[in-house]
Amino acid sequence: MKILVCISVVPDTTTHIRFTDKMDALDTNGIQWIINPWDELALTRALEIREHPGSGVTQISVIHIGMKDTEPVIQKALAVGADSAYRVNHAPADSLEAASQIAEVVRKEPFDLVITGHDSADYNGSAVGEMLAELLGWASFSSISSLSVVDSVITLERESDIRSETIIAKAPCVVTIQKGIAKDPRIPSLRGIMTARSKQLTLVEPVKCAPLTHFVRFENPAPRSQCRMVDPSHVEELVNLLRNEANVL
Amino acid sequence: MDGQLIFAGLLVATLIVFSLTVRKYVFRFSLTGPHRIRHWSKRLGLMLRIALGQSRIFRRPVIGFFHALTFWGFCIITLGSVEMVADGLLGTERSFAGLGFLYNLITGLGDVFALLVLISIGVFLLRRIALNVKRFHGIEMKKKSHIDAVVALVMIFLLMVTLLGFNTSYLLSDPQPIAGTYPVSAILASLITQGDPGQADFVMHLSWWSHIILIFIFANLLPYSKHFHVFMSIPNVLLSRLEPLGKAENMTSVMNEVESMLYPEQSGAAGPPPERFGLLDAGDISWKGYLDALTCTECGRCTDVCPANRTGKLLSPRKLLIDLRARMKEMSKGKMKNGRNFQDGKTYLGDYISAEEIWACTLCNACARECPVNINQPSLILDMRRYLVMEKAAAPAPLNMMFSNIENNGAPWQYGSHDRLNWVTGLDIPVPVMANLAAQGKKPEYLLWIGCAGAFDDRYQKVARAMIKILHHLGVDYAVLGTEETCNGDPARRAGNEMLFHMQALALIETFRHYDIRKIITLCPHCFNTFLNEYPDLGFSSEVVHYSTFLETHVASGKLKSSAGLFKNDTIVFHDPCYLGRANGVYQAPRILLSTVNSVRTEMERSKSFSFCCGAGGSQYFKEAEKGSTEVFIERTGEAVASGATVIASSCPFCLTMLTDGVKYLNKEGEIRNLDVAEILAMEAGL
Amino acid sequence: MIMSVLIYAHHDGEKFPKPVLELASYAYALARQTGGTVIAIVTGNPRESDLEKLGQHGVSKIWVTPEPAGPSFDNRAYAALVASAAEACGASFVLFADNAISRAVAPRMAVRLKAGYVSGVAGLPLHTDPFTVKRSVFTGKASAYAEILTPVKVLILARNTWQTIENPVTCLIEKFTPAVSLPAPDFEVVKVMEQTGTIRLQDAEVVVSGGRGMKSADNWKVLEDLAGALGAALACSRPVADEGWRPHQEHVGQTGKVIAPNLYIACGISGAIQHIGGISSSRVIVAINKDPEAPIFQFARYAIIGDLFQVLPALTQAVKKLKSE
Repeated sequence: MKILVCISVVPDTTTHIRFTDKMDALDTNGIQWIINPWDELALTRALEIREHPGSGVTQISVIHIGMKDTEPVIQKALAVGADSAYRVNHAPADSLEAASQIAEVVRKEPFDLVITGHDSADYNGSAVGEMLAELLGWASFSSISSLSVVDSVITLERESDIRSETIIAKAPCVVTIQKGIAKDPRIPSLRGIMTARSKQLTLVEPVKCAPLTHFVRFENPAPRSQCRMVDPSHVEELVNLLRNEANVL
Repeated sequence: MDGQLIFAGLLVATLIVFSLTVRKYVFRFSLTGPHRIRHWSKRLGLMLRIALGQSRIFRRPVIGFFHALTFWGFCIITLGSVEMVADGLLGTERSFAGLGFLYNLITGLGDVFALLVLISIGVFLLRRIALNVKRFHGIEMKKKSHIDAVVALVMIFLLMVTLLGFNTSYLLSDPQPIAGTYPVSAILASLITQGDPGQADFVMHLSWWSHIILIFIFANLLPYSKHFHVFMSIPNVLLSRLEPLGKAENMTSVMNEVESMLYPEQSGAAGPPPERFGLLDAGDISWKGYLDALTCTECGRCTDVCPANRTGKLLSPRKLLIDLRARMKEMSKGKMKNGRNFQDGKTYLGDYISAEEIWACTLCNACARECPVNINQPSLILDMRRYLVMEKAAAPAPLNMMFSNIENNGAPWQYGSHDRLNWVTGLDIPVPVMANLAAQGKKPEYLLWIGCAGAFDDRYQKVARAMIKILHHLGVDYAVLGTEETCNGDPARRAGNEMLFHMQALALIETFRHYDIRKIITLCPHCFNTFLNEYPDLGFSSEVVHYSTFLETHVASGKLKSSAGLFKNDTIVFHDPCYLGRANGVYQAPRILLSTVNSVRTEMERSKSFSFCCGAGGSQYFKEAEKGSTEVFIERTGEAVASGATVIASSCPFCLTMLTDGVKYLNKEGEIRNLDVAEILAMEAGL
Repeated sequence: MIMSVLIYAHHDGEKFPKPVLELASYAYALARQTGGTVIAIVTGNPRESDLEKLGQHGVSKIWVTPEPAGPSFDNRAYAALVASAAEACGASFVLFADNAISRAVAPRMAVRLKAGYVSGVAGLPLHTDPFTVKRSVFTGKASAYAEILTPVKVLILARNTWQTIENPVTCLIEKFTPAVSLPAPDFEVVKVMEQTGTIRLQDAEVVVSGGRGMKSADNWKVLEDLAGALGAALACSRPVADEGWRPHQEHVGQTGKVIAPNLYIACGISGAIQHIGGISSSRVIVAINKDPEAPIFQFARYAIIGDLFQVLPALTQAVKKLKSE
């Protein structure tokens, strides 16, 4: 069984998000790029699955849609244990563009299971996985909190508001993971980094594809309003504020 | 004549058996790695102090005294044994008597020490049998360790009995003239009224043969016993580590690898990467590491002072050495039989030492400081951590997260570098920033290194501000790096991540070189230790001081007056941060600073080099504690409370946090305050 | 042709939850802005009284359709279903509330309709031509204006963005049959575990949460009393769960549950960044803590600096008094 993990490259979570003067693009100066945390967990789970003997998993690849400067981050995925990587040489304007590019690669390679993260920490689209499945005509499962593959049989746990279900899915399918899929993301060892250099990173030229949405402008958030202090000897004032001012009681 | 032949035969037999042992050990040493020895003159001083002077042994003064007597006695009596071997081969008696005064000295001392050693052994045996000494027990102390100890003590006892018997009966045999002096035996001889010189002569020969045979047997038993330290301790101390305890050994292989990653254009012939990073099995240690394992006396003083062990964790520093010796024995057996490439499928780390044990260590160096034969246990732990992290990325998850944080945002917590000057809010003094000064063409004398705690920890930001007020008051020419500061890699290194340490250090050194930094003052002892002892290995040396040493000179000059009298009703106790005290020998400076404050001063039961860790070191602060019966910080805080203090003073952000948590845990918040020395000084100076 | 706004109104088995009513209210406002009406597509067999609720919030037509056949919810089938409904009513907008089902259906459906898709929508469009709508990005650290270039637009409305507003209209309830045959699900469900118990943290509109400042597990009664008076769910910070004072299911934070209630009352919680990450989408945060330097005050809208064990009982009293009026 061949697994493909889709990875996004996003700014490190402590970064101060700033935009260019025209406020139409992210200011990438000084940004430290990392693998999207959800995708890290997805990759970790794939590696854990393979480590169990008898999983049937023969290959774990990663794919990223991005420009050349994202390659050091893709190397990290290889250093952590992925066997090979694809980079589609394009900066997608929206989730559909990204999904379309991934679909092109998947059509050419016989992957059985594609895993995507809940959303990416940059534009928070939470759509690529499902869009990819629709483009491929595959079944898809989202809100997956647990995934295992034994003897090439895919078992998932899907969580909804009111129940959790254990599902046996047929390959090929797209799985979008959420909290619970893996406990702690793998980090590369020095040995892993050294081994990664000899692994395959395939450069793929993008297919023509028009985005259906794009970002025209960005804004930094308005400064947080001051906290309103209430005298502890007059707590009824708080109750009044919550009812009449905030309308939450 | 027959006597000589028999003796020669016994000697040859002994030597043959001994040579078989030597062959085994030569093979075992051949499985270890290289280790360079330098600075011979310094080493001689170390050997005189620790080995001959028994300085570590005297840290437990009463029982230590008895051991010192035994050791010195052994040294003298060994000289006498040489004469015995000469006598045995040459068929003479007391052949060295011609040395005259020197002979009298040696025999006299030997005779006195024979009694002193006899008494000491008596004490040791009684103690072992009648008292329940905690450090004689432990999971690593198997039955054979106890038998080994008793057998050795009994043998030494018999050796002293036979020696005294030899000397006493010599005197009773009425020799003409008497060769040598025997003050104790003379008294013993005067107490024996029965028997004639002929009988005494017989007893003398019996004692002589018993004594020398016992020596032959003992000599061949020693290499298989913990008493191997009789042979090994002096060389082990002579060849031991000279660096400050806080310094971690640099891994040049990793440094080269990281350099080639960061500067691919510049990479010269780095050489092939090592087959293995860190310590997994007995073959991964150097010959000196194996010598340590052979020298370990199993005294358990290290385990007895280990904060992890004392709080019920699995870690026992002694066990690391005992198990290393055992593993090498096991591993070499297989290889001697089946060839060097034979793998028996077992490893030191994994089958003997568990990951849980090594992750419990706070790297406080109490064990290394205590060891009478100067073994460095923490380096074993660090090397095993290095294996787990650099080969397997198998550090506990919170540490992996810390590594990610350092790599991605330059601090062990989730804070970005752009926030590294937020701590100045609340100060009405301007804080000079290196980049600004450089833009104006200025270069300050000192870099004040704030560190990640000073920048991001709410509590320690107050200490950073106090420091600024003091430096401003003193008119010191300094600047901070501000947003250009990054983690210097220390927590990564202590957790075994050499790679990340080098990545951080090499980048930071570039910043230092850019500003031509020559002098650094640090707030945090860990930063102090890394810059002082470890950055030179990476090519950057500077004058580094911890703020306590820096302020010591200013306080002496009277420029920083403690006059507010805010602590006159307080009792202040100082908690020695491990990386200021034990790791680098700075005990006095903070105390001198505190002595300028009007207050009552007290010390904890365990202070200075005996100080008990706060529990945060060895990256423990960044992970969950290993399973134990209690926590290190609770034990140390309890000790502070028991000292009667109303203020616990420390000079490290981690100690401050741990002890503050401890006071909260023990519900003493109204009764005891935790303050950094810098804060106390700033408050007292009215700043 | 009238521009329709189609909303996907999921029913949780008991009612249409608040986010759906918020969605209906938003859809109504959007319809007013663009000159259209609101249609809801509902699966299953909800009570008439529940359906009327939708009408009270501006929905003029409800299409009720049977759940697609299969062992359980199938993303592919539902996407086809909603796409079919959108095509049938000629919807220009297809709207979803922010929840797991929407994320399962909306993207697939958007691909089917070749429609531009924007999630996390934070308000009505700035302008409709070109259609530009605001959304939060970088996990709340910034906002972006997204332009949709297609005639049909798929939006997921962010939580706590739009209040429920009653705009009663005449509501027509019709049966809907999809024009296409839905794809047959091809998976097996081998086990189902129903969530039982008290007010689910995820759904609760009011949450009362305790941190280390509560000192011990024995002190939770004051929080339980307040939660009872408010009809709130209970939550806690990570150290509290780690110490075993409260069950792990109550842990809210970056590594626990991420929730977005209307009102979140943080008692004795310092406000570490990981905890804030789990509650920042709350409409209103109230902090009660005795440490004036606690970081939580930077994120709270209202706060009381005082002793928890005095403030909480007084607060409970005040709430009870208010509710009885």
